[in-house]
Amino acid sequence: MEILYLLIPLGVVLVAFAGAALVWALHSGQYDGLDQQSRRMPDDEP
Amino acid sequence: MAGRWQLYDTPEMLAAVSTAVAGGQREVLLAVDGVHCGACVRGVERRLAGRASKVRVDLASRTVEFGFDPVAQPLSGLIEILEQAGYRPQVLAQDQALLAAQQERRAALARIGIAVICAMQVMMLAWPEYFDAGEIEPGVVALLHWSQWLLATPAVFYSGWPILAAGWRSLRDGSLGMDVPIAASILIAYGASAWHTLSGSGALYFDAATMFVMLLGAGRYLEGRSRAQAGERLRLLAGRRALTAVRIEQEEPRTVSISALRLGDRVRVAPGEALPADGELLDAVADLDESLLSGESRPLRRQPGATVLAGSINVGIQALDLRVRSEASASRLAAITRLLQEAQRYKPPAQLLADRIARHFVLAVLLLAGLALAWWWPRDPGQALEVLLAVLVVSCPCALSLAIPAVYAAAASRLAAGGVLLVRPAALARVPELSQVLFDKTGTLTLPDLQLGQVQPLGALSGEDALAIAAALEQNLQHPIARALVRAAGRIDPATEVELAAEGGVRGQVAGRRYWLGPPEHLGLDRARQPALADEASTWVALAVEGEPLALFGLSARLRPEAAATVAALQRDGLGLRLLSGDSEATVSHLARKLHINQAFWRQTPEQKLAQQRQLQADGFVVMAVGDGINDAPLLAAADIGVAMPGGAALAQARADLILVGDSLDGLLLLRAVAVKAALRVRQNLAWALLYNLVMLPLALSGQLTPWLAALGMSLSSLLVVSNALRVGPGRQPSIAAQQPAALAT
Repeated sequence: MEILYLLIPLGVVLVAFAGAALVWALHSGQYDGLDQQSRRMPDDEP
Repeated sequence: MAGRWQLYDTPEMLAAVSTAVAGGQREVLLAVDGVHCGACVRGVERRLAGRASKVRVDLASRTVEFGFDPVAQPLSGLIEILEQAGYRPQVLAQDQALLAAQQERRAALARIGIAVICAMQVMMLAWPEYFDAGEIEPGVVALLHWSQWLLATPAVFYSGWPILAAGWRSLRDGSLGMDVPIAASILIAYGASAWHTLSGSGALYFDAATMFVMLLGAGRYLEGRSRAQAGERLRLLAGRRALTAVRIEQEEPRTVSISALRLGDRVRVAPGEALPADGELLDAVADLDESLLSGESRPLRRQPGATVLAGSINVGIQALDLRVRSEASASRLAAITRLLQEAQRYKPPAQLLADRIARHFVLAVLLLAGLALAWWWPRDPGQALEVLLAVLVVSCPCALSLAIPAVYAAAASRLAAGGVLLVRPAALARVPELSQVLFDKTGTLTLPDLQLGQVQPLGALSGEDALAIAAALEQNLQHPIARALVRAAGRIDPATEVELAAEGGVRGQVAGRRYWLGPPEHLGLDRARQPALADEASTWVALAVEGEPLALFGLSARLRPEAAATVAALQRDGLGLRLLSGDSEATVSHLARKLHINQAFWRQTPEQKLAQQRQLQADGFVVMAVGDGINDAPLLAAADIGVAMPGGAALAQARADLILVGDSLDGLLLLRAVAVKAALRVRQNLAWALLYNLVMLPLALSGQLTPWLAALGMSLSSLLVVSNALRVGPGRQPSIAAQQPAALAT
């Protein structure tokens, strides 16, 4: 089971990547105005 | 840091963000996003004590309002005090508030996201040991422990930071907020686990700690969103107050502060911008979005000469010009904003009770947790720690303290979307008990404007020509009759030497002849000579040339298009309705018959109306009075529930509990539906919160509840209370959908 000594730290590193990706997505505005998307189509109508 | 706020000390900005009150003092409303609990409220109050007067902190909208002396205590210094204490103050009336809200949302989501990712991973790493019968290598166990510690650290100290900080603040201020036991349990779980990792023996609670942070963060985010929905409207209203305006001076546009605007100024508003003041539209039609003021979301087309309101957005394709008709601080927007601020800082009595219960509750929980620890420790130190954690976590009175404000916030937001502004939330609690409704006539059941109903030519002149002459005489008058005639006229002849006649009416010269317009009695016309005058439901004016009658004009008030349906629905609901009016018998009884209101009273003075209402109240009825807020002010103030129709500057004096800003009686039905639901939700929420704690505490004390289960239960309980509160009204937008046919019909 020596492979666990590699896999567990690898999991931790992957989590770090996932967290970084989330923070990047948030600060590039991808989660802003989630409610507005559902209203966008009716709003475009004259 | 200091320079950031100093801008607000300049007289111009001070005028934009605060209002003058007596004795050279000013009042200001700030957003304080760092205020989370009752302890923070007292913290703010304590810090401002002695420097500011009348400090009112509102937890639901996270705002603070206070009076201050701009000379002795500059606003910038007060804001700085709040900032240094960590309450994150924001000056409203700027778009910054909205920007900050977005930043805060992003940060909150990042915190939740990190907590979720870390909690899942910690859980996964903790799992093997739950089933371990000793076959995992000690090296792997150590690795699992250290990895959990590594992953739990950002979850606790980044994601959980707001909770820890609030707990610390509350402890430092010497008041027991509900964040104290929460922060304590997180830190105890984390600290004990770290110690056990280092020493290599004992159970780990990293999974419970991270999950608690995650659930709490998610719960508060959702709870914050429901509050934000209510607070958003206030911020939008306040934020949309334009601070500058483009004034046309000798054909040249010039940007000035709105405080420099004077009555009669000509102001230009570019497409997409907010109107800086109430005024009269000039030159061309314009499309305006008045949703902030009325809740009506569709743009409205306004004709030249129409009254337009500050805070509406020019959604047309061209710039529009308007003539300023009220100063910025007297606009309807300013009046409504002030009323909303008043409403927002109001705490329902039931809420004060819940706050007080929560405070004693926290103390009791801490004592109980201490006793449990003392009892379990000699028997089983490991179990003692688990019980301590479970008790601290499970008893968090979040649900209890959310039970009422969440309902009121959701109800206010639901009502605002339907064009009903809740000024005094306490009135909402009385609506379900309602038994009598008193209606005023003019401006309430009827539209405030008169309409030309009949034209009766008496001489050689055709009705159309007579109207053109009448309109010419009345063109520059602001009287309701004048406005109705001018509106109805197909063409307006040029008139000269127009003047108010000493005997009543107006006189003027049109096409070389001298005409007079006024009450028919002055011409000796009466019912006997003119059968048309028998129609008392109309107001009559006569046009004459050199004493010779030419035409009669009958003007009548138009019924609101939705009045009949609203009245019928209220009657179906079992409510007694009364129509009280100062008008004549014919007018009032005609209207009452049309609306099927059995109890109509005419020629009522305000004193008689009030006496009638007092009699009803003395007989045990819960009375709602609906009026236009100007002449009905005493009636509205004395009613159990006073509802005002929106009426410009007079709104500021109206002592109403609710304002139908949508200018539609439909709001009454929405109000009733929402209020009945809200009362039910408050009862359900309180019952749930108490029941939950009664059941779960004994379980935790007896060691039946593991810390992570307690965390799950506490968070689900809060979420349940908040999501229950959100179900206060009928579907999202039924009233606006219902308004559309009515709006077309007018």
